[in-house]
Amino acid sequence: MKQKTVVIGLGNELFGDDAVGLLAVRRSAQIAPGQADYVETGLHGVALLDLLIGYEKAIIVDAVKTGRHPAGTILDIETGRLNPIDNPSPHFTGIPELIRLARELNVCFPKEILIVGMEVVNTEDMGTEMTGEVVAALDQLTERILSHVP
Amino acid sequence: MSRKVTIDPITRLEGHGKIDIFLNDNGTVDRAYFQVPELRGFERFAIGRPAEDMPQITSRICGVCPTAHHMAATKALDDLYNVDPPVAAKKVREMLYNIFIIEDHALHFYYLAGPDFVVGPHAPKAERNILGVLGKVGMEIGLKVIGTRKQLRELMVLAMGKAAHPVFGLPGGISKPIAKTDQQRFIDAADRAVEFGQFSLQLFHDVVLKNKTYVDHILSDIYTHETYYMGLVDDNNRVNFYDGNVRIVTPEGKEFSRFAARDYLDHMAEHVEPWSYIKFPFLKQVGWHGFKDGPDSGVFAVAPLARLNAADGMATPLAQAAYEHYFETLGGKPVHHTLANSWARLIELLQAAERMRELANDPEIVNPEVRSMPVETPVEGIGVVEAPRGTLFHHYRTDERGVITAANLIVATQNNAARIAMSVDTAARGLISDGKIDDGILNMVEMAFRAYDPCNGCATHALPGQMPLQVRVYDMKHSLIQEIRRD
Repeated sequence: MKQKTVVIGLGNELFGDDAVGLLAVRRSAQIAPGQADYVETGLHGVALLDLLIGYEKAIIVDAVKTGRHPAGTILDIETGRLNPIDNPSPHFTGIPELIRLARELNVCFPKEILIVGMEVVNTEDMGTEMTGEVVAALDQLTERILSHVP
Repeated sequence: MSRKVTIDPITRLEGHGKIDIFLNDNGTVDRAYFQVPELRGFERFAIGRPAEDMPQITSRICGVCPTAHHMAATKALDDLYNVDPPVAAKKVREMLYNIFIIEDHALHFYYLAGPDFVVGPHAPKAERNILGVLGKVGMEIGLKVIGTRKQLRELMVLAMGKAAHPVFGLPGGISKPIAKTDQQRFIDAADRAVEFGQFSLQLFHDVVLKNKTYVDHILSDIYTHETYYMGLVDDNNRVNFYDGNVRIVTPEGKEFSRFAARDYLDHMAEHVEPWSYIKFPFLKQVGWHGFKDGPDSGVFAVAPLARLNAADGMATPLAQAAYEHYFETLGGKPVHHTLANSWARLIELLQAAERMRELANDPEIVNPEVRSMPVETPVEGIGVVEAPRGTLFHHYRTDERGVITAANLIVATQNNAARIAMSVDTAARGLISDGKIDDGILNMVEMAFRAYDPCNGCATHALPGQMPLQVRVYDMKHSLIQEIRRD
């Protein structure tokens, strides 16, 4: 049966630290199966709408690169703080645009969407090597995800 | 004073890209460059890995068209192990592949091209997005698009394991047959997809073709290039996305060559430019003579417009009727107008839906015999499919254990790279005359490449809502004198 909460790990395992969201969600699913639906995906943009429709709450986990925090820092991002961009693409359609689109279309969409990010270093070079600080903080990221799972 | 204008990153494009525009003293364009950051390190990454992992690995290169890479890799493995899949496996693969084409083409038309053609290139920038499109055509159409795509993606998950990263293709077949009890779901979805395809073409007729301004844009010289065209065709020279021979036609529309994927290196070579990471494929027999139009230039194009030009027709009846109307309206074959890609894309969407319907109704697709076991020693394998964005080649060499020793991918956007560069340069020259560069003009320059739906292969690592467009204007010394941001 479909759960009320979905935890979505975004990323690409072939691009170094970009795997962090996928790995943390995989661990969360092992620790607390049955408390939420866990999804690992490389999809983005409007395709995410398919994954979010029908849930009450969503936790999105992703690698974040701001350059303003040490690698491995966990960042809770409130979706309300993100500004929609004027010219979104399917590639860069962000959560604010998805929320707006879902609202306009009046589809069943999570009322609560949390983004849990981790500051990473390398997401550009193809390979499975990850930065040490990022790997070291994986357990902490998993704990943070689970703290949001009801 | 000469100026350099940079558009980076580009909006509504799959992946990252950058445009640099160099202005002369009199405000006209000296030269515009379209730069694509190439996928780095794939060949190195693949070496030493089992070839059988390639359908999984390559489908992770990009979250946009994983199924195209998965299928090209799977077909390369058929070739590598010299194994012919059972008929049922081929039909299921083709059906799933057509489903992917439908949902990807729908995404492009409604989300990428829609803002240009439905909302209009000069509309306020805040309206040039999917919400603007839905504002014009009605919110119920938004639900139709989302509903159709969702149904198709669910079927892809059912058959392929995952829509994003299929675990489906194997050398000599597929991992599981379609259950008889699921066949009706495919039939129902196919009926709905055909209806959706017809509806989308009608929308294009009503909104775009009846608007003279839009038609003038499509026919405009600034969006026109006379090049060679490439696409996969079946035995009757009809468009085929999953399999067939590669056919190339001349700028006059005559057959130039027709060959099996295995022979692609006899027909194509790559040119390198100092200002771009991407390699520019060209026709070997014609040669590289610069970014030029005409039969003496080896530049060719792929993607919907090219596929329709390279074929003698569509493989299904409704799409064939739309094809005939297309060429009648646009002045006969071949059509050289880049923006006509959007219309061609919808005709292809309809063919994919009709072909899906044919295959969904075929009793063979529930045949449980879906695997021929590979027994031969692998050496080299080449696979080709028509990705939504054009012809895609996968080429692997292995040792006798099937471990990759060399890999080469020629992706659709790469095949189109030379013509895209020409399109951006021509549009910039045609649109910027007195040094005046406003948002509407920049958008019309972007339209020149957006029509190709270029996809530059990338990871999913942009924080949502944080990827603005930047336009930077530099003086001759590369000092920043102006910056425009679209936050």
